[in-house]
Amino acid sequence: MTNKQSLKAIAGAVALALASGSVFAANIPAGVKLAAKQELVRSNGSEPESLDPMVVEGVPANIITHDLFEALTATDNDGKVQPGVAESWKQTNPTTWVFKLRKNAKWSDGNIVTADDFVYGIRRLVDPKLAAPYAGTFGIFFENGADIVAGKKPNSAIGVKALDKFTLEVKTAFPVSYLPELMSNAQLGPAPKAVIDKYGKDWVKPGKMVSNGPYVLKDWQVNSKVVIEKNAQYWDAKNVQLTKVSFLPIEDQNADNKLYLSGQTDMTYEIPPGTFAKLKSEMPKDLKNNTILGLRYYGLNNKDPLMKDIRVRKALSMVVDRDLLASKITADGQQPAYSVMVNGVHGAKPSTYDWAKWPMAKRVEEAKKLLAQAGVKPGTAIKLSYNTSDYHKKMAIFVASEWKTKLGLNTTMDNTEFKVFLKKRHDGDYQIARNGWLADYNDATTFLALVQCGNTQNDNFNCNKKAEELINQGNATTDAAKRTELLTQATKVVMDDYPMIPVLQYTLPRLVKPYVGGYSLKNTADRYRSKYLYIIQH
Amino acid sequence: MWSYTLRRVLVTIPTVWIVTTVCYLLLHMTPGGPFDGERKVSPEVLANLQAKYHLDLPLWKQYLYYLNSLLHGDLGASFRYADWSVNDLVAHALPVSAAIGGSAILISLLIGVLLGTIAALRQNSIIDYLVMLVGNMGSAFPSFIIGPVLVLIFSMTLHWLPSGGWDDFAVSYMVLPVALLVFINVATIGRVMRGSLIEVLNSNFIRTARAKGLPLRTIVLRHALKPALMPVVTLLGPLAISSITSAVVTESIFSLPGLGKLIVNGASNRDYTLVLGLVVLVTVITVLFNLLVDLAYALLDPKIRY
Repeated sequence: MTNKQSLKAIAGAVALALASGSVFAANIPAGVKLAAKQELVRSNGSEPESLDPMVVEGVPANIITHDLFEALTATDNDGKVQPGVAESWKQTNPTTWVFKLRKNAKWSDGNIVTADDFVYGIRRLVDPKLAAPYAGTFGIFFENGADIVAGKKPNSAIGVKALDKFTLEVKTAFPVSYLPELMSNAQLGPAPKAVIDKYGKDWVKPGKMVSNGPYVLKDWQVNSKVVIEKNAQYWDAKNVQLTKVSFLPIEDQNADNKLYLSGQTDMTYEIPPGTFAKLKSEMPKDLKNNTILGLRYYGLNNKDPLMKDIRVRKALSMVVDRDLLASKITADGQQPAYSVMVNGVHGAKPSTYDWAKWPMAKRVEEAKKLLAQAGVKPGTAIKLSYNTSDYHKKMAIFVASEWKTKLGLNTTMDNTEFKVFLKKRHDGDYQIARNGWLADYNDATTFLALVQCGNTQNDNFNCNKKAEELINQGNATTDAAKRTELLTQATKVVMDDYPMIPVLQYTLPRLVKPYVGGYSLKNTADRYRSKYLYIIQH
Repeated sequence: MWSYTLRRVLVTIPTVWIVTTVCYLLLHMTPGGPFDGERKVSPEVLANLQAKYHLDLPLWKQYLYYLNSLLHGDLGASFRYADWSVNDLVAHALPVSAAIGGSAILISLLIGVLLGTIAALRQNSIIDYLVMLVGNMGSAFPSFIIGPVLVLIFSMTLHWLPSGGWDDFAVSYMVLPVALLVFINVATIGRVMRGSLIEVLNSNFIRTARAKGLPLRTIVLRHALKPALMPVVTLLGPLAISSITSAVVTESIFSLPGLGKLIVNGASNRDYTLVLGLVVLVTVITVLFNLLVDLAYALLDPKIRY
C-alpha cells in the first residue's frame, strides 16, 4: 500500500465516521407528532435459538440481540454503517484497524463499556468450548482466528487488543476493507465477563442479563414472547423513542397475518404465500416490500456425470424465464437474477449473460443446440430436489415445466423434509437442488463463498482457478475501486462456468402499520433496530 | 388397591425405558442432524458443537450418558434452544398445555355428559337430533377448519377475542383454543354418553326401578348415570392425553407456547434431547392417566376390585 493510498483509506474512514456521527437515533421528520404510548409489538418469525450475542445464528435472534447489544459499529434503518460503541475508527495499515470507543457507553448495570469487553467478547466467540455457530464465519477475518476455531491456538491469540481503556486494535488475517460494516454484528460485540462468570449459561435470562444496547431484557417466555424495555443507561437513550418492544415468535404466516389484522401486532415477519397481490391492492399503505441481499438459486451438482458438462448447465440456465417466474409464479415483487452477486451488494457488480436479453425462442434454439452437442437427447431424465414448502414446490414445478416444454427433458421431483434435504444437498447427493443465500454482511465475498473452490458453503462443488486468483488478488488490495473491479471480474469468470442457476433476488414483503415510523425501504439487510422506530400519533 | 397402584407405577419404569430406547434409535437413524442448516457450519465448528453435546461419542456411549442424566431427572440440554435445558422448556410449556387441555376436558365433560343425557332421555326427538348433529359436526369437521372459522368470527369480525398468542394465562387468550377443543371433545363425549345411557336405561335393573314407580329423575340420577358414565371415563384417559400433549394443530392455529409446538419444533430441528424428553413425559402421563382411569372404575363400579 502506498502512502497516498493509506492516507486515502484513513481519510475515508474518518470522514465516514464523522459524517455518519450526525445521525444517531430515530430521525423524526418535522411535523410528525409522536403517540403518547411508544410501545411496539413485532412478529419475529420463530423463537430465537439464543439471546447470547456470541451464540445467535438465525435472523429472529439477531433482530433481538441487535436491540439488546451494541457492537463497535451499528447499522441504521437504511442499512448504513453508523458509529456504535466506537465513535471513530481508522485503518492504520492494510490489516490493522484502530477503534476509539466513546467514553459514555455503559452497560445496563451502569458499568462503562471498555475495550476489554470487546476483547473478551471476540475471544469468547472463537473459543471452541462455546462452539458458537458463527465462530467459523466471522473468526476467519481476525489474525489467528481460523487456527483458534480449529483448536490449534488459544483464544488469547486472536488479533484483537485493548491499547487502553477506550482504544481497541483489530488485526485482520488479510485486508478487510469492509471491517467497519462487519463489526456491526452482535457476534463481534462486547460481552459482560463478570456477569457471565457469575451466572454461566443463565446470564441471558431476564433479571440476570446485562446488556449495552438501547434496550434491556424484561421478559422471555419460550415460544411466547420476548419483551425488551428502553435502557436508561444507553449512551443515546434520549433519542430512543420506543419504551417497550415485544417480539412474538409466530412461525405460521397465516397466524402472523391474523394477529396483524386483528390489531395484536404492529408488524408481521412475512406475509403468507400467494397474498401479495391482494394485500397490495387492499392495504397499500401497510404493505412494505424491500429488496434485500439474498439470492434464490438452483444449485447444479458439478460432480454429477450429466451436470459436469458446461453445455448442459448453460442450456438449463438459459431457458428458465426469470421474468415470468418473478411476475407470475412467485408474484411477490422478487427480482430476476442472473448472477451469484445481487443488486445493492458492495464490493462487486452482478454479472449478466448476453442471452438474458435474447428473445426466448432464440435462447431455446441455442440451448437445444448445446444439449445436442453434449449428447443429451429429449426425454433424458434429470432430478430436481427441494424441501417441503408450497413456495419451493411452486417454483420447482415452473422450472421443471420450462425444461420439459422447451428442452424436452423429464424432471423427477425429489421432495423431502427440510433436514433430509439439507443433508443430501450438503453431501452432494443430488443433481439439481433448490438453494438460497442471505448475506451475512454487505460485501461481495459473502456471495462469492457460494462458488469458491472448496468453500464450506459451496454445495455446487465447482472450482474455477482463474476466478479464485482474481478473488485472492481483490482481497489482497486496499484500493476499493480496484478490489471492486477484480471481484466483478471474478464474478463474471465464475458465472460463465454456470456452476448454478441464479433465479431471483429476494425481497421481503411484510405488513407494517402506517403509524410505525422509521421503517425504511432501503434496508437491504432487513435489520430494523427498534432504536430507529417510533409510533406516530394515530 | 395400594399394591395394585404400586405395581402399575413400577410398570411405568420399563415402559418408559423401552419407549425412550426405541425413540432414541429412531431419532439417530433419521437423516439430517441437529446442526444441518441452510448455511453449512464449517467442519471445525461442527466438531466443536458435536463435542459440546457429546455427539462425537459412539452411539452406545451417548445413550448411556443420556440414560444416566435421565435417572438424575435431567432431560439434557436442548440443541436448538441453546440457553435452555429441556427441563426448562418443559416447565414453560406444560402449564400452558395443561391449562388449555385441562379446561377443555372439564368443560367438555360437563357439556358432553349433559347433552348426551338429554339426547338419551329424548331419544329420536328433535332435541336428540340437534345434539347428534352438533356431535357429528364436531367429529366431522377437522380442527384446522373450525379453528380458523372461530378466529374469523370472534377475532377478525367481532374483535371480541385475540386471534392467537399467549399472555400469562389471561382468560381472553384461552377462550378460542379451549372452545375449539371443547367442540371436538363434546362431540365424542356426548355421543358416547347418549349411547351408554340408552343402553343402561334399557337394562333390567332400570326396568325394575321403573316398575317400582320411581320418578325418572331419581332413576337417572341415582341409578342410571353412574354405570352410564363408565364408557365416558374410559374415554377420559386418551382425551386428556391428546388434549394436553398432542394439541399440535390447536397450538399451531393459535400460536400457543405449549408442548405440541415443542414436539413439532423438536422433531423438525432434530433436537434429540428435546424430543426424547417430551416422549418420556408423554409416556409417563399416558401411564398415569390410564392408572387414574382404572382407579376411577373401581370408584364407579363396586364390582371391580383390584
